[in-house]
Amino acid sequence: MQRILYIIQKEFRQILREKVFIGLIFGSPFIQIVILGFAITMDVKNVSLAVVDYDHSVYSRRLIDAFTVAGSFRFEGVLTSEKQVKIALDKGDIKLALIIPPHFERDLINGSHPKVQALVDGVDGNSAGVALAYVNQIAIKLQKEWLKNAGVTVSKIKEIHLTTIEPRMQYNASLESVNNIVPGILAVMLMIITSFLTGMSIVREREIGTLEQLMVTPIRSYELILGKVIPLLIVAFLLLNVGIIAAGLVFNVWMKGNIFALYLTAFFFSWSTLGVGVFASTITRTQQQAMFVAYFFMIFATLLSGFFIPIENMPKVIQGITYLNPLRYFMVIIREIFLKGTPLNLLWQETLAMALFGMGTFVFASLRFKKRIS
Amino acid sequence: MIAVEVKELTRRFGNFTAVKKVSFSVRKGEIFGFLGANGAGKTTTIRMLCGLLVPSSGQARVAGLDVYTEYEQIKKNIGYMSQRFSLYEDLTVRENIRFYGGVYGLSRAQIKERTEELLSFLKLHEQAHKLTASLPLGWKQRLALSTAMLHNPQIIFLDEPTSGVDPVSRKNFWLLIYQLASEGRTIFVTTHFMDEAEYCNRVSIMQDGVIAELDSPQELKKKYHASNMQSVFMNVVKRAQNEPDSF
Repeated sequence: MQRILYIIQKEFRQILREKVFIGLIFGSPFIQIVILGFAITMDVKNVSLAVVDYDHSVYSRRLIDAFTVAGSFRFEGVLTSEKQVKIALDKGDIKLALIIPPHFERDLINGSHPKVQALVDGVDGNSAGVALAYVNQIAIKLQKEWLKNAGVTVSKIKEIHLTTIEPRMQYNASLESVNNIVPGILAVMLMIITSFLTGMSIVREREIGTLEQLMVTPIRSYELILGKVIPLLIVAFLLLNVGIIAAGLVFNVWMKGNIFALYLTAFFFSWSTLGVGVFASTITRTQQQAMFVAYFFMIFATLLSGFFIPIENMPKVIQGITYLNPLRYFMVIIREIFLKGTPLNLLWQETLAMALFGMGTFVFASLRFKKRIS
Repeated sequence: MIAVEVKELTRRFGNFTAVKKVSFSVRKGEIFGFLGANGAGKTTTIRMLCGLLVPSSGQARVAGLDVYTEYEQIKKNIGYMSQRFSLYEDLTVRENIRFYGGVYGLSRAQIKERTEELLSFLKLHEQAHKLTASLPLGWKQRLALSTAMLHNPQIIFLDEPTSGVDPVSRKNFWLLIYQLASEGRTIFVTTHFMDEAEYCNRVSIMQDGVIAELDSPQELKKKYHASNMQSVFMNVVKRAQNEPDSF
């Protein structure tokens, strides 16, 4: 026990002596949150839009108005034919076109369901989908407005079954992806610090020869590993807190849930990533190699975590693989705690899976870390 | 009293046999030199004796302890220093001493006492708060040896401790070794400097994983009619090349 304390003391001395490192601890969460938070956005803004109006009626004009005032679209003008629409879409001048059929107003009033066509540039499938959802929302808003104007009472409107579904977003009411991205960044950041630095800090001692020196002392493997890992865990938690504050200050995304629930789950999560770092150090000789191994793990962990790509969209086999990914669980947990304030007792399955995985990885890696070469 | 006893010790790496059935013993208080070209098997042997490497076959006892089973016990009884000195350059002299003292399991009071002792002994009081990186190589080397001896071991393994150090520092280092030996400690040292071999009580010359010669420098010089260890060594190497089967 005493030996562990001496190693921790030594590690902190070395960390604090590295001015760059201190800057990194406090600066990097801010920089990452700002840059990634702004860059990684699934929100669709400024969709360039053109309209073909074959009806030229009050209602068709109201429809166009509704689109031009909505912030999500940038109105590029009125086109006269579908042919022009195709050309504009091909040239990339517009991403979305609305085609209002002739007799739109008349058909609407006498209830014969006129159809407005929306043409979307589907090259970026994600944005196209989101843009269409916006179109739907506006269409439904208009229908309700018109029903009211036609003298239908509010209670009656509720009874009328509008054919399109209206998505109602909870917990992320503004449907801003930054809310979703920011907790994800925190999770990834925690992973980077713990797996990267652990591997490098152990292998660095191998490079300069101090590891060999430590091997001939009576120190036990577990003492050495814990002594190396605990300081990094503390640094990672510091960073997590700085990140939480940065998220609040920069994006006004403040944590809804219990901070201690987050600490506890982050602690469990860290064991698996620390384990990866220790494992990387057992199969490598240089810091570059250790970095590469950790990097390799991190790419997969990030891609298969649901950070960018929803796990439900993945093929079944890949979905199965994601269950082996500790980040998958933590991604759910941190988003739930952050955005919904979900209490821990509703997240016990993820927490348990992550804790078991973490302990397993860490123990496995530590057992591989032998003082003696056979 | 035997400090180190080795019988037919062998270590293979895949198909390559780095150390072939090596046998020797080192008396307590002896300065035992291990000579040989790079790759002759010196470091492999020393690493097996320090419990860093498991032997492939053969027997070895260090301080009466078995290298196969009691290697953790061995570590409490030996000091080890390699050519890389193994100090933390970004820690100060005092911090290095304190850290290794803690790792060797000394109490806080012991560490304090030993630190002052060492600083006086090495005349490093003025540099105590300076980063180790700023020390001249010769001082680093003596500091490294001292930190490897914080737990007062009776057997000290030195793996090419003087490589890359200037002649004056080498001389000073050997004075330190003599002092330690006069205190009754056993010194096991590998080197490829032949002038250093003269300082040893006995030397063994390793060649391709086997011990080609083992005797005192005086006897070896007599045997090869040589005036210094350099020509003894050259003779041994030549003989080994002419009759490769004799070992």
